[in-house]
Amino acid sequence: MPTINLGPASRRLGGVLLIAFLGAALVFFVMRAGHGDPALAALGDQATPEAIAAFHKRWGLDAPLVVQFWRWLSGALVGNFGMSMTVAGGVPIAGLIGSRLPNTLFIGFYAMAIAVAISLVAGTVSALYHGRFIDSAATGIAVLGISMPDFWLSYVLVYLLALGAGIFPSYGFVSPGDSLAGALYSGFLPAFAIAAPMAASFTRILRTALIDTLYRDHVRVARSLGYSGAFVFVHYVFRNALIPYVTVLGLQVRYLLGGTVVVERIFGIPGIGALLVDAAFGRDYGLVQACALTFLICVLIVNFLVDLLCAALNPRAT
Amino acid sequence: MSINRADFTRRDALKLAAGAAAAGLGMPWTLGSAIAQQSATLRAGISGFNVINTLDPMKATLIPEFYVIYGAFNALLKFNAKMELVPDLAESFKVVNPTTLEFKLRKGVKFQDGSDFTADDVKFTLERVTDEKNAAPNRGKVAAIETIQIADPYTIRLVTKAPFAPLLNYLTNTRTATQIVSRTALKSMGDEAFGRRPVGTGPYIVKDWKSGESLELVAFPGTFSGAPKIARVMCPLIAEESSGMTAILGNQLDLTSTAPFADIASLEKRPEVKVLKQAGLNTRYIALNNKKGPFSDIHFRRAVSMAFDRNVLVKAVLFGEGVAIPGVLPPALWADPKPVFGEYVTYNPERARAELAKSAYKAGTEATMLVWGSNWWHRMGEIVAGQANQVLGTKITLQATDFNTAYSRAKAGDYDAMVMGWLGFVDPDEYLGEIVGSKGFRNIHAYSSPKMDALLERGRTELDPAKRKAIYREADMLVSDELPVLPCFCSNIHNLLRPNVKGFVQLPYSNFADQFGGMEVG
Repeated sequence: MPTINLGPASRRLGGVLLIAFLGAALVFFVMRAGHGDPALAALGDQATPEAIAAFHKRWGLDAPLVVQFWRWLSGALVGNFGMSMTVAGGVPIAGLIGSRLPNTLFIGFYAMAIAVAISLVAGTVSALYHGRFIDSAATGIAVLGISMPDFWLSYVLVYLLALGAGIFPSYGFVSPGDSLAGALYSGFLPAFAIAAPMAASFTRILRTALIDTLYRDHVRVARSLGYSGAFVFVHYVFRNALIPYVTVLGLQVRYLLGGTVVVERIFGIPGIGALLVDAAFGRDYGLVQACALTFLICVLIVNFLVDLLCAALNPRAT
Repeated sequence: MSINRADFTRRDALKLAAGAAAAGLGMPWTLGSAIAQQSATLRAGISGFNVINTLDPMKATLIPEFYVIYGAFNALLKFNAKMELVPDLAESFKVVNPTTLEFKLRKGVKFQDGSDFTADDVKFTLERVTDEKNAAPNRGKVAAIETIQIADPYTIRLVTKAPFAPLLNYLTNTRTATQIVSRTALKSMGDEAFGRRPVGTGPYIVKDWKSGESLELVAFPGTFSGAPKIARVMCPLIAEESSGMTAILGNQLDLTSTAPFADIASLEKRPEVKVLKQAGLNTRYIALNNKKGPFSDIHFRRAVSMAFDRNVLVKAVLFGEGVAIPGVLPPALWADPKPVFGEYVTYNPERARAELAKSAYKAGTEATMLVWGSNWWHRMGEIVAGQANQVLGTKITLQATDFNTAYSRAKAGDYDAMVMGWLGFVDPDEYLGEIVGSKGFRNIHAYSSPKMDALLERGRTELDPAKRKAIYREADMLVSDELPVLPCFCSNIHNLLRPNVKGFVQLPYSNFADQFGGMEVG
């Protein structure tokens, strides 16, 4: 029974908090350094200077930046992110994020599940038959998968499977909270569009790692002791090959959160990526910060979990 | 133990994928909140936009906000299918004298909260917009009103300081802020809550609104124009125009508010959608900084203007879905299909080079053009800059940014040129007065011409429509002569409908929910 050493983990937790703070500060000051004004988004081009001043006062934008940051931070620490200014005037930001995050996480996990499923099968098969036709075919498809941009694949899927064959809806998404079956069905095309390039790169990583492990000494020894091929593969090859595979999986999660913006827009998924884009265009500073912080924390949590998982798979490393 | 865990990962993943596939192919599916399929529901997609910040007419600035406001509210007047002014909440109106308008109001009209509509609500609405404290974006449209007299609960008089010709247009249910709100509802709810759940007299009540996702409207049977036939309207907010198109092709929508220019020709051949289109009330131009070189030089402006072909823009940017214009007035405003193109707004490379010779700025002059928005705006900038550079040897480069940045920079005078446009306005003063009037709030060009201002002032006070038209025509000709901006084109407006959708009348100012009350889904 492997034990997980929590010493490094708690050190990591401190690091996570520090990075979250630095990230939030960076987003705050970079947003303010650029051009643009939320008053323009909220009041339109016809606003008088007095109206703009009143808007700035109403939202505390007339205070020095450091004061504004402190106000934001002290609110954020107790989970109060304030109200949206220009994207959803007067709606609490925490509520907006709370209603959007499940959709993004759902599509992310759905895409990840599809990518993992495809890559486990394709990677294992092409490693076991490496050099033969089935391997070349799988590797060729993988190269194709990596090369396809997700927005292009989205439209191809819509034209073929929604408008052509009529199997899936061409637009729209049912939240998993409303209907899980509906979410799985309406989310399939977007999840697949996101999953395809990931599945391709996962397949290649797994194939390489498996082939690499297949010719290691301990595997040869195990074979020479008379264990069956399947037993050796599962116990000595596959487990070792999973370490680089899981690491790459963890890295891809960042892409899942941020890179889904385009796919979210194409399929009309009310996710947090689309919200961040709207917020940035509308200079809804508080909303941008809250979305960015949510992304950051999600990525840090995933990295943390991946590290724990890798440590569990490979106790020697700790 | 640990080996089993690794094995479990694989099996688990496979199970998950299999489950997902089974759910995808076999499970019955009820469509969710954003898009529904009952025939009692109209699925009206607001495409090309996904931000609606408020539904309070006084605060609204964005066109998608007005799309919804049109259906929840009425104004004193409205435009009919021929774009003629007709009474709406007013029963009739008359010009008592050049500074006084009198409106007889409809009796028995109810607001969506059950309260009665009277002259008091009209007074409250207009005073709310004119009150400087409220900083209403459209305040300028009604600021000329000096006093509001209630003669009796159903008669109201608006008195202006001087004759103000655009006022009737500004009292319509368009982008005006003069949609009549219920005083009792607003007072009891407060501004913020009213902005989320507005109370008007219109045929549809805003029942639910998920920011950035969708709105749900339900019929208001007590509306004075007769109970709507469609009980419920779902309006998903669809950021990508092309997604709106695939949604309606896949029967996920019954109606869209826009369509991509590039796809109109192919959509017109498809049996599953009907394309409605007409010349729109909009104007697209290159805004110029008239205060800073090189565009401070009138000869340089004229040279660039003659160096690009507006008809090429219409073909390459709009795929033919629009017309070139010589000024900033949309031809649809006058129902005049043949505007006059003066010398300086006609493509002529030789004349352009000769004009450049008169300018202080020569070939090799550098300037930056800001582009923003969806890719057709970028293409517009690319073609104008590219043709000018080719013909004149100038070095105009593009800088891509977002609208908020571009407009903030322009307002601060920190720019040379930028692509620009306005949509959905119904009075010539909203175009010429605001864009090239020296006090116009859309005048980001630091352009100030006493001749232009005098014309615009006459236009505002001239109540005879024929004379007023001649004045604005002259002002528009002055634009094509002095070129404070480089006029480019007006685009067509489009709606896509499923063939079973009936009763939607498209109006050139880009209307939307105002039509829902008379619609049917067969």
